[in-house]
Amino acid sequence: MTERTDYHIGGTPPETPGNDAAAGPWPATTVVGSRQPRIDAYERVSGTAVYPHDVSLPGMLHGAILRCPHAHARVLAVDTAAAEKMPGVAAVITAATPGADIPWYERDGGFASTLFDPHCRHQGEEVAAVAAETPLQAVDAIRAIRVTYEELPFVVDDTAALAPGAPAIHDGGNLIGEPRVRSRGDIAAGFAEAEVVVEGVYRTSCQIHAPMEPHGSVARWDGNRLTVWDSTQGVYDVQERLAAALELPRSSVRVIGPYMGGGFGSKLETGKYTVIATLLARMTARPVKIFLPREDCFTSTGNRPANTMTIKIGAKADGTLTAIEYASSGSGGAYFGDAGTGALPAYLYQVANLHAIDTTVHTNAGKARPMRAPGVPQAAWALEQAMDELAAKLGLDPLELRLRNIPATLQAGPGLPFTSQHLRECLVKGAEAFGWAEAVARPPDEGHLRRGVGLAAGMWFYSGGPPSTVVVKLHADGSANLNMGASDIGCGTKTWAAMIVAEELGVPLEQIQVEHADTATTQYATSSGGSKTVPSDSPAVLAAARSVKHQLIGFAAEQLGVPADDLVYADLALTSRSDPSKTLKVTEIGMLGRRGVVVGTGYREPNPEGSFTAPTCAQFCEVEVDTRTGGLRILRFLGAHDSGRVLNRLTFDNQVFGGMAMGIGLGVTEERVLDRQTGRMVNANLHDYKIPTMLDVAGDHACLPIDEPDHAFNTTGAKGLGEPATIPTAAAVGNAVARALGVRISDAPLTPRRILDALAAQRKEA
Amino acid sequence: MLPKFSHLRPATLREALAALDASDARIHGGGTDLVGCLRDRVFTTERVVSLSAIPELRGIAATGDGGLRIGATATLTEIAGHPAIADRFTAIADAARVVASPQLRNQGTIAGNLCQKPRCWYYRGDFHCLRKGGELCYAYEGENQHHCIFGGDLCYIVHPSDTAPALAALGAVCRVSSASATRSVPVDRLHVPPSVDPRRETVLEPDEVVTELVLPAPPAGLRSSYLKIRSRNAWDFALAGVALALVFDGDIVRSARVFLSGAAPVPWRSTAVEAAITGQALDAATIAAAASAAVAGAEPLSGNAYKLALFEGLVAGQLEAIRG
Repeated sequence: MTERTDYHIGGTPPETPGNDAAAGPWPATTVVGSRQPRIDAYERVSGTAVYPHDVSLPGMLHGAILRCPHAHARVLAVDTAAAEKMPGVAAVITAATPGADIPWYERDGGFASTLFDPHCRHQGEEVAAVAAETPLQAVDAIRAIRVTYEELPFVVDDTAALAPGAPAIHDGGNLIGEPRVRSRGDIAAGFAEAEVVVEGVYRTSCQIHAPMEPHGSVARWDGNRLTVWDSTQGVYDVQERLAAALELPRSSVRVIGPYMGGGFGSKLETGKYTVIATLLARMTARPVKIFLPREDCFTSTGNRPANTMTIKIGAKADGTLTAIEYASSGSGGAYFGDAGTGALPAYLYQVANLHAIDTTVHTNAGKARPMRAPGVPQAAWALEQAMDELAAKLGLDPLELRLRNIPATLQAGPGLPFTSQHLRECLVKGAEAFGWAEAVARPPDEGHLRRGVGLAAGMWFYSGGPPSTVVVKLHADGSANLNMGASDIGCGTKTWAAMIVAEELGVPLEQIQVEHADTATTQYATSSGGSKTVPSDSPAVLAAARSVKHQLIGFAAEQLGVPADDLVYADLALTSRSDPSKTLKVTEIGMLGRRGVVVGTGYREPNPEGSFTAPTCAQFCEVEVDTRTGGLRILRFLGAHDSGRVLNRLTFDNQVFGGMAMGIGLGVTEERVLDRQTGRMVNANLHDYKIPTMLDVAGDHACLPIDEPDHAFNTTGAKGLGEPATIPTAAAVGNAVARALGVRISDAPLTPRRILDALAAQRKEA
Repeated sequence: MLPKFSHLRPATLREALAALDASDARIHGGGTDLVGCLRDRVFTTERVVSLSAIPELRGIAATGDGGLRIGATATLTEIAGHPAIADRFTAIADAARVVASPQLRNQGTIAGNLCQKPRCWYYRGDFHCLRKGGELCYAYEGENQHHCIFGGDLCYIVHPSDTAPALAALGAVCRVSSASATRSVPVDRLHVPPSVDPRRETVLEPDEVVTELVLPAPPAGLRSSYLKIRSRNAWDFALAGVALALVFDGDIVRSARVFLSGAAPVPWRSTAVEAAITGQALDAATIAAAASAAVAGAEPLSGNAYKLALFEGLVAGQLEAIRG
């Protein structure tokens, strides 16, 4: 069984056909791998880029959604009479509105809820909505709606959700699905073989995606044709979901989202707000815009669940792992989120005997959604700190312990080989660049400021693959258009795609325009999630460019009267090998001039059978802890990443720095706080919920790519990076703090409170 | 979303004071707290009176007796960067420098910082708490890791201002005007503890405006400082903070004023620390005694006992630093 995280909605993954031009690896590159600023940097920083939040249409109304303030309640009555009479109000929608009973939240092939479910299972559930002439009128109107609630007993603590007598959030209790078990070998025999065993319980807190652009959409109808501007990670997924919800053919639903302000996984799922906007737009025959207030993004658009992870590792005296036993639990929220974390302990290290179980429960809180490597940074927090505990007990350097347990093959099923896997290089080269040996040899600090270094490794299990279709259009003047469906969720998709075209065809970057993320005008792509946009779409871009090149070579061969295989294509010109006087610029190709354009279509071909692709990484950091105040400073960080070929070194580095920043959030500052008395979130704003600032991340950070193209995997040799970049970060900080203090703090985030409490406990023991 | 209100921006203090006679009018200094409170429906108003166009409320200048006058609408950025303040009233510059974020310091005023509303997440959130006219303090049995360890009584907020403890330590006095009168209120008597009234933060009446802050001339041997610890290194309020204003005679502390932030519903004068160091040289034993004294009698809640160690560590560190 190989690991697959489902990042697209439903159905069997479709396939794309093969390509007509044979595609071997690049011999050498000049554009690909260089440092290129984003081709749309000017638009982004100058404000001329039109994000969905910026869309303003003639006659557009503004929507607002009334949400349940209670953790668990039943709507008994909704009185909209006053709201309907308020100035500017054009439409009010509730569960009672005809056409609003749209099923929502899939379970067991059916649905467990509706758009405005009167059974509100968490704070922030949708109760009603309004469209009005101005945003303020819409907000005034939802406040004027009178809702009678019956408050119900609630549970927001996931460890209490399965206790006898806990309020049932759905029929059938609070367990979501059956616990997932990963198992191999003989766990008892593995521990019997062990000479050293460590055990521990580790916890992480609930993290919120909090993208810069809030969630929202603009919907407009033209007869039965619907156009939606959506801040989404995948326009085709939204098209599919809207078509199903509204019972329209997909061809009648156009979803547009070329610029979007971040999602981190929270915008993979189609929002209720999008459907509500379409319904209000249909009721009023006017475009409707709904963007969520920031508070609603905290309560109602997903989260990385808190996890409690129990881990036991056995090893021989030389550090060879003999067994891992792992149990993780967490909350999927009031609907069917996944809080599983068992993949990393199952796959990161070579170990024959393993038992890992994931339990996911319902609580009266927002549904978990995939968040940047779902489950894996949490698992790293447990596994990689337990590995350091094991190293200490064995008297081994933590680096050495990991090097002794690098997996030779995928640690599951038949033990597939990796298409490429450079975990050893990440650890060794990373340690060298960081100065690990010197840092661990340094004597411990004496005073109240204690420095420490830590490392952690990581692996990601979702490789990407078909389908993807890309079109490249070369104009007679030698400029090019690139057309692809993928969203650019902040990772520089447009730029690396243009770089591939520039590399292959020699068209200067500034003469390449990219159209993308529009279901009406751009080609099919799966959503941007799972670190799979580069590995899924870059081979299709390359194939499309090669198709153009192949056609140009054919035209030029005919025009020059030489065989096609005699021609060399370089710098937008074709030259005969046998007679270099026979040469032609691309713009001089007669057929190109007569046709106006040459169109090349590229498809993502299937991944190789019988192998597994897994980006790997190791991160290293140095921290300083003030034992008097519990203050934690991250002094430096280094990420060594094997993500195959580097397409754009600048965005590669920045992706790693961004991943580290988010990992520092998980490890040091961020935590959703739910009030135990009411079940409501008390820090649903950007001040009380502490996203790290520039002063909280490392002042000195570095990225070390292990730039080895994975040509067994795909034609560009690139693997994913976005998620690996945040996997080991929090764990590396945890290990550094433990080394600095001589005490391990098993619960994240490492706030002054937790550090001071741990130091107090340490003093008590001493 | 904001309530509907009229916005007046008079050019003179007299006009502003006249406009404040309306019953629920609110004063706008820099707006960094007011706008958030209105948006979050902490309170509402039908009239906002802005002080931002009144020249006489601005500026920072030396007084004839060697002290300093800080206009009520001087921004935190102006104060943080003012050479005389950094040099002679260091604690105030220290405090202004660590408020919020650069954008907020550019906009926020010194009087607004003194008169800001609490940051308690129940008070700011959709909870009808005691301070907002409800019946209970949710923090008492709820999520109280940021709440007070001293002075809690029905309400368990901490006062959010960084500049208040610094100004109080240095003996600053607010000049306060209404349409009918003018008075002086020392900063250390500006704030109202919940034991007196849990629904009021300052002694100011709705029609009163802080017009300026006056600092006495620093005595010879004065050293002052302010430091806060927060869970994020920018744009965050104090988990714990301490303002010191010590008058040294050689190595001996002749007099001391010590105020804590993040400790209590008002800037908290720690007479215990003052007593522990007055007349003493700041040697290790004295500092240890002062650190313990800082939390003597503290009454932590279920989630904030860590603040005891934090205040001890903070006070010890700051006393070491000021000793030089």
